[in-house]
Amino acid sequence: MRKKVLIVDDDPDVIMFITSLLESGNYKMIVAKNGEEAMAKVKEDKPDLVILDILMPKESGIRMYRGLKTTEYLKNIPVFIYSGISKRTFLRSQATLAEFGGEAVPEPEAYIEKPGEPEDILDTVRELLYQGSSSS
Amino acid sequence: MSKLLLIDDEEGVRKVFSLYLRKEGYEVFTAEDGEKGLRIFKQERPPLVLTDIKMPGMDGVEVLMRIKEMDPETEVIIITGHGDMDLAIQSLKFGASDFITKPVNDEALSIALERAEEKWNMRKRLKEYTLDLERMVEAATEEMRRRCEFENKLIQSSIDGIVATDEKGIIIIYNKGAERIFAYPRSEVVRRMTIFDLYPPWVADEFRECLFRKSCKRPYTWDQTAIIRKDSQQTPVSFSGAILFEKEEVIGSVGFIHDLTKIKHLEEELIKSERLAAIGQTVAGLGHYIKNILIGLKGGAYIVNSAIDKKDMNSLRDGWKMVERSIHKVSALVLDLLSYSKEREPQYRKCFPNDIIKEVCGLLEQHANRYNISIIKKLDDSIGEICMDPEALHRCGLNLVSNAIDACIFDHGDYNKEKDWFVEVRTALERDNKMRIEIIDNGCGMDEDVKDKIFTSFFSTKGGKGTGLGLLVTQKIASELGGSIEVQSELGKGSTFTIKLPYKEIEN
Repeated sequence: MRKKVLIVDDDPDVIMFITSLLESGNYKMIVAKNGEEAMAKVKEDKPDLVILDILMPKESGIRMYRGLKTTEYLKNIPVFIYSGISKRTFLRSQATLAEFGGEAVPEPEAYIEKPGEPEDILDTVRELLYQGSSSS
Repeated sequence: MSKLLLIDDEEGVRKVFSLYLRKEGYEVFTAEDGEKGLRIFKQERPPLVLTDIKMPGMDGVEVLMRIKEMDPETEVIIITGHGDMDLAIQSLKFGASDFITKPVNDEALSIALERAEEKWNMRKRLKEYTLDLERMVEAATEEMRRRCEFENKLIQSSIDGIVATDEKGIIIIYNKGAERIFAYPRSEVVRRMTIFDLYPPWVADEFRECLFRKSCKRPYTWDQTAIIRKDSQQTPVSFSGAILFEKEEVIGSVGFIHDLTKIKHLEEELIKSERLAAIGQTVAGLGHYIKNILIGLKGGAYIVNSAIDKKDMNSLRDGWKMVERSIHKVSALVLDLLSYSKEREPQYRKCFPNDIIKEVCGLLEQHANRYNISIIKKLDDSIGEICMDPEALHRCGLNLVSNAIDACIFDHGDYNKEKDWFVEVRTALERDNKMRIEIIDNGCGMDEDVKDKIFTSFFSTKGGKGTGLGLLVTQKIASELGGSIEVQSELGKGSTFTIKLPYKEIEN
């Protein structure tokens, strides 16, 4: 069965770039323009990987990430954050949210700061999709 | 019982007197001559002495003088015979309190004694009173000295300079703080200099006016100024002072001088570090923005490359469009940067401002429609061809309208609410030859904090998607033309930007 990848970004250029990048991999690609839309698609389509931007209108990636990682049946979906925001800033904001009453969330499975190298992005996606679960 | 010394060479007189005086209640000592009398006096210190005037050896006058020498307070009564009147009067001059004549009658003696005793008592009381008074004065003096010293210590230990003068402006108090600030040693200043030598000229003038006109009572508030030190260096200080009055009379002046060198230094450091922080922020913001553009370039290049490999014309076109969009973003950024950093000469030309606004809206319409935002134009049709800076109008309009669209897009994300987002653009001519353009949106709006920052620093609420330069550039263009920009905004409700740009009527 084809692996499903959900790409979440408000910038159509980024979506176009990632989709053409992943074209070679024979994945089923689902696209969402913001966190809200993405959450609905996660629940509907049960993707094998989420590629997530942080700064988006309507529910940011920070909130969406918390939503994924604190929901029992979603938290095993690997999340690959692809954002202009540095990993340090992202982790700090999650730590702050946890401090103010939120649940602590694990680090994302992968993190690449934009723009990144196309090969690295491809390798990361491949790794996340076929590590551990590759036998199934 | 009061002691009494009786000196007389006649034994009979001594006996009779003794009897009488003892009966009167005196403790009586007797001596038959002056020498012996003085010896007893030294021992017993009686407050009353009765002495005969004519005696062998030392006479009564000499006894009187010697006793007064030893204790001027002693009352000495002289006993005289008839015909000793001259001597008796002389003895009064030497301080005898009274004289009685022989043969002594009891009544006269008793009166003389009473008088003498009264005198002695009075003097004693007076002395006690004087002593008391002296003690009080001493205590008061001591208290005063302590207080003076305390005040002096207060003045001396102040870090601020304190300079006080008499009514002529001559310096009488000059503390260590003042010494440090002015660098003149105390010895050169106190009573040798006036404040007119010491203070900066404008301060000196004000003091001169107040001291000599004697009319102004207002104290100086803290004013910043610079003083010239003895070594000709300038020191920034803040200065306050007052004219001192006593019952409406000018008695002097006082000045307080606070050294600002350190504060100024800190201020400069702060400005420097703020500037560095602002530069850092700008650079970081720019870096972020450029990174975003880079995604488009890299992604576009990747798509173009793989399209060439696959000979896929459609992908090639898509990739190339992405590259072109990124190129457009770079040029917009560079334009922003340049127009912010460069002085721009206003270029007035004939134009139709409403057409320019329509063009701006047209450019952004597609972008707005993608997010279901309608652009409403309420342009004043009576505005025809006028003379203004069309490029400035175009830049400002473009910046403000695209900001308004962004505000609506952000509202989508922040509140998840359903509403009909719009951006309304209005134009009108005002009486004072200014064209007013209003850009109204019902987007996310701003809180006070954001509103304060939008024109001041390289500030952006759009994450990596804004340079934080748009409004700065807009404001700069408007103010270069002599126009203005104002903002009203409420969080969650929307914002209204009003920009006014000057124009000229076209002649003929």
